[in-house]
Amino acid sequence: MFLLWLRIAAILYGLASLAAFGAVLGNIPRWKRLCMPLALSAWCVHAVSAVEMLVLAHHWMPVGMHEVQSILALLIASVFLIIALRYRTLSFGIFALPLAFLLVVVPALGPDQHTFSSPVIRSGWLLLHITALLAAYAALIFSLLASSLYLMQEKRLKNKRSPGFLNWLPPLDTMDQIAQKTLVLGFHCMTVGLFAGSIIAQESVGPSYFADPKIWLSFVMWGLYVVMLFVRRNAGLRGRRAVYLSSAVFVLMLCVWAANLFSSVHRFSAP
Amino acid sequence: MKILLTGLNHKTAPVELRERLAIAPESLAEEIRALLSHPGVREGLILSTCNRVELLVCYEENEPELAGHLNERFAVDTQSLRPHLYHHREAEAVRHLFRVASSLDSMVVGEPQILGQVKESYTVARSVGAVGGNLERLLQGAFAAAKKVRTETQIGSSSVSIASVAVDLARKIFGSLEGKRVLLVGAGKMSELAARHLMQQGAGSLLISNRTYERAVQLARKFEGHVIRFDDLHARADEADILITSTGSSEFIFRTPHAQQFLHRRRNRPMFIIDIAVPRDVDPEVNRLDGIFLYDIDDLQSVAVSNLSDRTREAQKAEAILEQELARYQRRAESLDVVPVLVDLQTAAEDLRQAELRRAHSRLQSLTPAQLEAVEAVTKGLMNKFLHQPLRALKSAAQHGDMAAIDAIRTAFGPNGNKAAADPVEPGSSEKKLTTIRERQD
Repeated sequence: MFLLWLRIAAILYGLASLAAFGAVLGNIPRWKRLCMPLALSAWCVHAVSAVEMLVLAHHWMPVGMHEVQSILALLIASVFLIIALRYRTLSFGIFALPLAFLLVVVPALGPDQHTFSSPVIRSGWLLLHITALLAAYAALIFSLLASSLYLMQEKRLKNKRSPGFLNWLPPLDTMDQIAQKTLVLGFHCMTVGLFAGSIIAQESVGPSYFADPKIWLSFVMWGLYVVMLFVRRNAGLRGRRAVYLSSAVFVLMLCVWAANLFSSVHRFSAP
Repeated sequence: MKILLTGLNHKTAPVELRERLAIAPESLAEEIRALLSHPGVREGLILSTCNRVELLVCYEENEPELAGHLNERFAVDTQSLRPHLYHHREAEAVRHLFRVASSLDSMVVGEPQILGQVKESYTVARSVGAVGGNLERLLQGAFAAAKKVRTETQIGSSSVSIASVAVDLARKIFGSLEGKRVLLVGAGKMSELAARHLMQQGAGSLLISNRTYERAVQLARKFEGHVIRFDDLHARADEADILITSTGSSEFIFRTPHAQQFLHRRRNRPMFIIDIAVPRDVDPEVNRLDGIFLYDIDDLQSVAVSNLSDRTREAQKAEAILEQELARYQRRAESLDVVPVLVDLQTAAEDLRQAELRRAHSRLQSLTPAQLEAVEAVTKGLMNKFLHQPLRALKSAAQHGDMAAIDAIRTAFGPNGNKAAADPVEPGSSEKKLTTIRERQD
């Protein structure tokens, strides 16, 4: 049944993405009215599908790639909805909704063939670890997006061009606030996620888990995150430099994701 | 009912004449009543704004002399008034009203106030009973057209005055202007205007600095602001989020090192600098700094001009939308016009049927009541079937505004075309006849 919900959610995300393009780039009022209801419906159906999927398969544990993708898409859609409702801007929809659609579309095609078989993944801390880290990734994606849009708006205002194509960009102050708040949210999530992950690793692997490239890359990312927050807070970092820093953390985040390939701890294959 | 629109506007009359005809909001109801009492006027409305005075009336036979009415009410010599007046009749009057309500006839195309003013006039005219079915339809059509133009084009989305461009830019930087602090350096008219506009849009407080301290104090009293001594300007300018400068200084007052200090003290929070002075007060290099947005008078002007050309482009789209709305209004008006023709056609056919029944009266006397009812039903059914196609064609012709087809159907099937065949009968006489026959048989 969850596959049916997921397929409906994928269709609704697709429609919401189209509506977002019409609303933001075309400034078409009809699309503006449609975008939020479509996105909200997609989110609701997606949430139902996620709950069904997790309860049915793994007792609340997103352990397969499809499940992880689906949960990440749900978190991205959640952050978009919070931003849209709090800041009254649909601009992020042209990035967030297609991304949610793309993340959902593969899991919606059929059941996951590649699931982790290790019993370790049934640990109680794992839900916290995975969800918190996925939320951190989602928050960081938005932070990078907001910083990039800030840079575009700043350039446009400095070049003194008439609004034209980029008229849809939200005000600088709004994007700065979004970038800052998502960054802080991402930091908290990442801290919780790493803490939970460390406890699981201590229990299952012992102190040697620090030798794993995946683990130390995760801690480097956390460290860089702390530095970025500190610099942003104290120096009021905005515009170009903020984008560089966010990009650096984002690239590192991708490396951490890719490090699964080389990790001995993080493979979760059957013993 | 015919429509006439007479008036003058900023294109046809100088302000001296417009202000003599201008009607204060409190006198509008009285003036509409006076218009309604003018000979021949059945329905009426007056639109009076700073750029136009227009009288819109519906009349039946003789066209009302509205120039004379204006002369009577406002004591303006008709001879000097006539060259400035325009008169639009029927479809042209409708088109003009639609364009006015959609702000396509305004001095600043796309300005939003005019629709509100037309609605206000409509409300007043309605309250004094000057709006009947015709004006109601016409005005609702105009409001619908204006709404469609607003929602389907970007005609009113960009600012075209220097002050509103400044406000728009400030919004693009700060989002809301609420709580933002504005610093006015120098006391020029333009900067005062821009500051007033920003304050009206919600800016939090105003700081004023001027070489002549007393002038700064005067302005501060006017805007309920605070004064910064000119000597303290560089030390305190960073307190402002928006800085408007328009001094008569021949040298730059603000240079890059000053702006760097401002940014440092503001922890890189953005600052919007509007330099309206000529020669300029702010070194253009300042704009290179991240977080400083510097616009001089030419920059603001070029944004305004570019926005204006955008509006002109959007106005072309709006004209196309108006054409569709006009066609829809005309179709609706014509379909309503065709209703009497439909009724005439049905009445004529019914009269024919009754005449035939009367002619066959003697031969029908031997029929039972049930047989008579069957005859009634058959003749009615035949008549309806016969009329079905012409009535449908008539409705379709009315919807498409095909007057030639309407005339052809009216000639072929209408009462005049068939009158020769039918004997004059009283309405409902055939019913009486059948009842009489039934009574006799009982």
